Amino acid sequence: MRKFASLCTALLLCSVLTFAQQKTVSGRITDEKGDPIPFATIMIKGSRAATVADANGSFNLNLKNGTTLLISATGFTTKEVSAEGQKTVSVQLAGSSRLIEEVIVTAGGIKTKRKEIGTANTVIRAEALTAGKSMNVASGLQGKVAGLQISGTSGGINPSYRLILRGQRSLTGNNQALIVLNNVIVPNSVLGNLNPDDVEDVVVMNGAGAVALYGSQASNGALIVTTKKGKRGQTSIVVSNTTTIEQVAFYPKIQTKFGSGGTAYGLDPDGKPIFNYLENQSYGPAFDGVKRPLGPALEDGSQDSAFYSFNPGHNQFWKKGINNQTNFSLTSGDDNSTFYLSGQYATVTGTTPGDKYNRATLSANGTRKIGNKVMVSYNTDYTQNRYDITTQTASMYGNMLNMPSNVDITKYKNWRTDKFANPIGYYNPWYLNPYFSADNYRSIQRNDYLIANVEVKWNPINGLDFTARQGMTTRNYSQKNTVGQFKYTDFAKTTDQSSKADISASVYDASNYATNLLTDLFGQYNKKVGDFDFKLIAGGQWRQDQAKYLNITANGLVVPDLYNASNGVGSPTVSETNYKARQIGAYADLRIGYKGYLFLHGTGRNDWVSILDADNRSFFYPSVDLSFIASEAIGALKSSKTVSYLKLRGGWSKVGQVNLGNSDNFGAYYTQPIFSANAYGFPYGPLPGYSVGNGLVQSGLKPEITKGYEFGFDLNLFKDRFASSITWFSTKTDNQTVPTAISPTTGFTSLLTNAGQTGSRGLEVTAHYTPIRTKDWSVTIGGNYTYLDNTVNFIRSDLTKLPLSSSGSGASYAVAGQAFPVIEGFDYKRDKEGHVIVNSINGLPTKSDTISILGNAVPKHKLGLDGTVQYKNFRFSFLFDYRGGYKTFNGMGPELDWSGTGYRTAVYNRQSFVFPNSVIEDASKPGTYVKNTSVAIANGNGNNGFWTEDYNRGVTSNYVTNGAFWKLREIAIAYDLPAALLAKTKAIKGVTISVQGRNLFIWLPKDNIYTDPEYSDPGADNNGIGLTGLGQTPPSRYYGGTITVRF
Amino acid sequence: MKRLCIIFIAGAAVLATSCNKFLDINTNPNSAVSTTPELIIPQALTGTAANLNQFNTYGEQIGGYAANAGGYGGFGTAISYNFSSADYPGLWTTSYDNLEDYQTILNKTDGQLPNYSFVNAAARIMRVIGFELLTDAYNSVPYTDALKADSALTPTYSDPIAVYKDLADQLDKAIATINTGIAAPGIATMGPTDVLFKGDMVKWKQLANTIKLRLIIFGTGKVTFTNTTFTADGFLTTDALINPTYTRDIGRQNPKWDRWGYTSTGSDATKSWIPSTWILSFYNGTKLQDSGRGKAIYYLYTPTYLSTPPTPTTPVLGTGQLGVESVNTPKSPAGSFWYPSTNRVGGSSGNTTGVLKGPDAGYPLITAAESYFLQAEAKMKGILATGATDADLFKAGITASFSYLYAGPTSTAVTTRNPTTDANTYMTDNAASPLVNYSLATTPAQKLEAIITQKYIAMNFVNSEVGWNDYRRTHYPAVSGTSATSTFASTVSESTRPDKLPTRVLYPVVEGSLNSTNVPKSINPFSSLIFWAF
Repeated sequence: MRKFASLCTALLLCSVLTFAQQKTVSGRITDEKGDPIPFATIMIKGSRAATVADANGSFNLNLKNGTTLLISATGFTTKEVSAEGQKTVSVQLAGSSRLIEEVIVTAGGIKTKRKEIGTANTVIRAEALTAGKSMNVASGLQGKVAGLQISGTSGGINPSYRLILRGQRSLTGNNQALIVLNNVIVPNSVLGNLNPDDVEDVVVMNGAGAVALYGSQASNGALIVTTKKGKRGQTSIVVSNTTTIEQVAFYPKIQTKFGSGGTAYGLDPDGKPIFNYLENQSYGPAFDGVKRPLGPALEDGSQDSAFYSFNPGHNQFWKKGINNQTNFSLTSGDDNSTFYLSGQYATVTGTTPGDKYNRATLSANGTRKIGNKVMVSYNTDYTQNRYDITTQTASMYGNMLNMPSNVDITKYKNWRTDKFANPIGYYNPWYLNPYFSADNYRSIQRNDYLIANVEVKWNPINGLDFTARQGMTTRNYSQKNTVGQFKYTDFAKTTDQSSKADISASVYDASNYATNLLTDLFGQYNKKVGDFDFKLIAGGQWRQDQAKYLNITANGLVVPDLYNASNGVGSPTVSETNYKARQIGAYADLRIGYKGYLFLHGTGRNDWVSILDADNRSFFYPSVDLSFIASEAIGALKSSKTVSYLKLRGGWSKVGQVNLGNSDNFGAYYTQPIFSANAYGFPYGPLPGYSVGNGLVQSGLKPEITKGYEFGFDLNLFKDRFASSITWFSTKTDNQTVPTAISPTTGFTSLLTNAGQTGSRGLEVTAHYTPIRTKDWSVTIGGNYTYLDNTVNFIRSDLTKLPLSSSGSGASYAVAGQAFPVIEGFDYKRDKEGHVIVNSINGLPTKSDTISILGNAVPKHKLGLDGTVQYKNFRFSFLFDYRGGYKTFNGMGPELDWSGTGYRTAVYNRQSFVFPNSVIEDASKPGTYVKNTSVAIANGNGNNGFWTEDYNRGVTSNYVTNGAFWKLREIAIAYDLPAALLAKTKAIKGVTISVQGRNLFIWLPKDNIYTDPEYSDPGADNNGIGLTGLGQTPPSRYYGGTITVRF
Repeated sequence: MKRLCIIFIAGAAVLATSCNKFLDINTNPNSAVSTTPELIIPQALTGTAANLNQFNTYGEQIGGYAANAGGYGGFGTAISYNFSSADYPGLWTTSYDNLEDYQTILNKTDGQLPNYSFVNAAARIMRVIGFELLTDAYNSVPYTDALKADSALTPTYSDPIAVYKDLADQLDKAIATINTGIAAPGIATMGPTDVLFKGDMVKWKQLANTIKLRLIIFGTGKVTFTNTTFTADGFLTTDALINPTYTRDIGRQNPKWDRWGYTSTGSDATKSWIPSTWILSFYNGTKLQDSGRGKAIYYLYTPTYLSTPPTPTTPVLGTGQLGVESVNTPKSPAGSFWYPSTNRVGGSSGNTTGVLKGPDAGYPLITAAESYFLQAEAKMKGILATGATDADLFKAGITASFSYLYAGPTSTAVTTRNPTTDANTYMTDNAASPLVNYSLATTPAQKLEAIITQKYIAMNFVNSEVGWNDYRRTHYPAVSGTSATSTFASTVSESTRPDKLPTRVLYPVVEGSLNSTNVPKSINPFSSLIFWAF
């Protein structure tokens, strides 16, 4: 990867080369051991002239504008060499300190050499992040970082992502990685509202220790995102356009043999179920190709019909989406200032018919030196996004699944003009036309984000500087959800089996804002004493989060198309909530370096938070880590030809986190129980009435504390052609703040309490190898692997499990002594060996009385495999992503079986069958069971038969499948037009054409016939993973092309 | 350098001292964090009405008053009776939620007597009613350990017999508290915050006596009550209606109207249920003739025996047999068959007789009819030694039922018919039936059948759960066979009992998951009995 990066830089620089006929210098660049460093960059100081060394480290350069050479290569220290009066120079780059001399941004915006850091971290550069041209930074990171699990938790036009580092710690609180943008903590939603092209790099700090300085939120690790800055002496403009097609990549598997009807309509003389022309359940006779009516005749006498044979309409319901992004950026800089301007406009249509999304972002970043001692910098990002989507994704999907598969769904699209598609004449009396549900229930949302920060750095004397920084994130958003009025004719309401009912118009209108302010003030002092190097940082941080939510619902709109809250009948429903939370942190950070190969680092921070009681709101937490560069300290390694770099590292940390509330309310006001003024319609005129709230709060709530350690090593071999990093980590989180559900017989339904402990242990491995590295060819392959053992150690003696979320009959639970979380639900009653016990007369199984654990919902193994191949101007890259060792509950399963389109329902051809792997009670020895080979379930149909009954659909375990998947996450081919070709244009410096695909293929285990196990029905912010539902549309693949022009 | 140090130290000092002021902002601007008993009681009573509405739905579906309507499917356990823990969970959760409000009033006022006597006693009586509803639905429920917040997070289940005994004691205590309050000078009445009796404490005492009578009737022979006498305040003679001034507005309608009539915007409410053919047989002449109440309750009711029958209309009142899901099953009209009026424009409908009456009608906590039938049964069984005869009380019950059903949502008369006259007509018309003509019922069993059957009719969609409880306790009204008028059992019943009916609903999922060690196991919907049932 590193060489690839330097090569990219080299290619970029090629385009700005200037040619002159003055005297030249040639030379060779080597490392300390005398081996050539290929593709190093050689610049003439103070000018834009530059060249790149070849694979053997040799170069030629015209000395046009000066004689001082600046020689740099990724991973090496930049060196200044004078070529005054010389024809050849021989340059040896900075000792053996190569890769690790690289400087990255860590907590607080402090730049630290990677070799000094005693904890695991990963740097993802812009080119890797944007290879797949995703609109969302989170999706660009998927599969690329060991220990980081990014799950796309929903489908749709702007999918949500859940970012978890090293598993879940908090039982019910926030577990998502902290997002830091340009040194300022921002809400996670910012990742989806940032132009990925603006990102310079993302530093992933896997553990809490590395970022303890960020305060309590850092217990989940952090993603430190830095956007691009202008570069000194370079002016360039980049314009690009990407067009991406979105297409469903995986459809739920449906049966293709049977249509409408069922045994409730009786049996024909052959014992086959009877066809019914309006039944939504596909439990009728087998398809025979005959044209049959659909629904009752309309008022005008006409009647809809369809051929009674399979039609792939279920798959064709989902559209091809188009995503178009146009980017512009301009960078410039001189000795005193730099700036970077950019803009992006993106429009998206999704796979859901009618859903639209667009996003526009503008950024301006810059730096300015004032005198010699003051440096000012600023970053501003403004993003606005607009949604126009349906609110009925789940019911639309459900309605669609309840259309038998002989019905061509797509012909019901034009419901406004087509009498058979219009709800009045629509054949199905119980389920709405899915196109109508999508069109009639809409949500228009607008979000405006302004993210800005200014920083002043004052460097009064050498070795000492002070930084003051003010960051601000503000989100202003509004939403209008509308339901259109629909009136049926009396005929439609009363004919045949109709239960069609008028829909009255309503509107929900919300306007909200959230503002986060973050002030940092700190000083840094560096001092070298003999072999020791001291760096001390001390400072304070002030944080304020504030939000207001105001919404109003009006029902029964008087003028049907006037979607205004003042247009309803009766009192509108109004809700207003306000939240404000503050935090102060004071911290110190000391790093002691010894001889450049041993680094001891310690931090301490005390937080004071407003959201806890005064007695408990102050808490202190320290961290310590150690880094030892063995390859520099030990002589044998230093001279080794094999080992080029070996770093041993380890760290211990303790971080406190106040896990109250959520990102909308910041945990404000949680410490006191509340009374509701609006229960049961109160107030009635002048009569007020208050209800006792359902939540209990333990007095003296404390922060939860995560303690953990990690150790590992970074090992590079064969001149860094092989680079690896291995980390073992273990954390325990105590004093969980848990809003536990409690029996309503206590008078309450939840108790907020400190209880329980979770644990997370695992291994993170990253390895890359570059077998080929020549001037024309470069091949790098590698990957990352994560093993995660995430557990709930205990909760409390009287509460051994906690419900986290549910989808239908499946629920995600934290259970003491189990993986965090597990899927729980109903199973069949089984004998000791696990065989299903069936009734010895009718062959029917019985649903278990209570729910039980049906599987671990957290992936134990995660693997990313990536590769890049570079040949001359071609670049090819790919990324495969695997997750395994867990289960998922598919909430759409019961709906599929209800509708009779489910694949499972036809595995016995709707015939009588013997329940597989079942046993019956041995009549001679009660309590013992014998294998059942003959007692069959008589009614193997549905619509009153096995498949629609509770002992099939109500049994959760029937829909729990292996959660494993392989995905081809990204694949991209890019081609840079040859410089020679562009030279004639004078203006154009570079043109890159690329084609790329994301999530092109998904491979699922045989039992998962439903959907993408990455989805999470309760949403990105909920820890109750492992459940999918109908709210998530089928997973998509994305593919498209990009043209990028640099001026 | 020195100057920098000073700045830094000064900065740190500011940071530390301004800390508390900066952080003391955790005052909730969204919700109240304290309240008073006077503010809780109206809401709690209104919550009881909402809870009773759920019990009414449960009673009407299991107890034979309603059947599945055409146009809908998926009735599942509602017609198979093979209940799971997912059925009727709201009965449990809403009851305890409501009980907590009463418990909070008791906790706040127990130490402040006699000043808070009235609200304290009212809360105590309502708490008894809540636990009685739960016990009658679930048998053993958390009682002694319940409503104790975090001091008992997994409450144990109490013996229902002991619960019944204590509930009766609580009623005695409530009456005593009221008397103490009346005796103490200057105690303010509850006034308009009492959305049940408007502060009339005599009615509260009558309510306590009536509920105690109900407990004793149900518990006789099983429960050893401490005190089986009743205070001189007597029993309820008027309908106890909860009404916080319900009105046609979102969330503020009478809950029964809201569920079965029209929503506040005029949209159709629930249409998946219609009257059962079984219950109609008590009105249309199949078993009994009752044109008065039939017309008061049902839309398109066409009595078969009126001297001047109305012009036949189509469509007619549709009824169904539970479990029959066929193309011929009648569909519910908008506004349901339980809304008798012909003004069926959702936005203006209301102001009528029967069980729904209108969006502004009060919700019956207990009717005078039930009070009289309880007294009749008690008298007949000797539980009450003095007072009116059981025959008179029986007749009073029938008349009170007519009165309740003929009343409009407010005091304004909406019908020109006289309930007493029509009740007499009813008794004349059915003079041959021992179910109406009490003098024809000679044995205690026949008398009980008459009383319970009349009560069952009076409770139709009024307090349907009472009818269902009485059926399980007495097996009246008698059922037999499988025809739509001879039994109310579902045609697809999976019950193993001779009457093909279930015996109870199961504990909700929430208890299985959150109180799993204590929740009784192996509860069967066809064999587990409430302690007073057989």
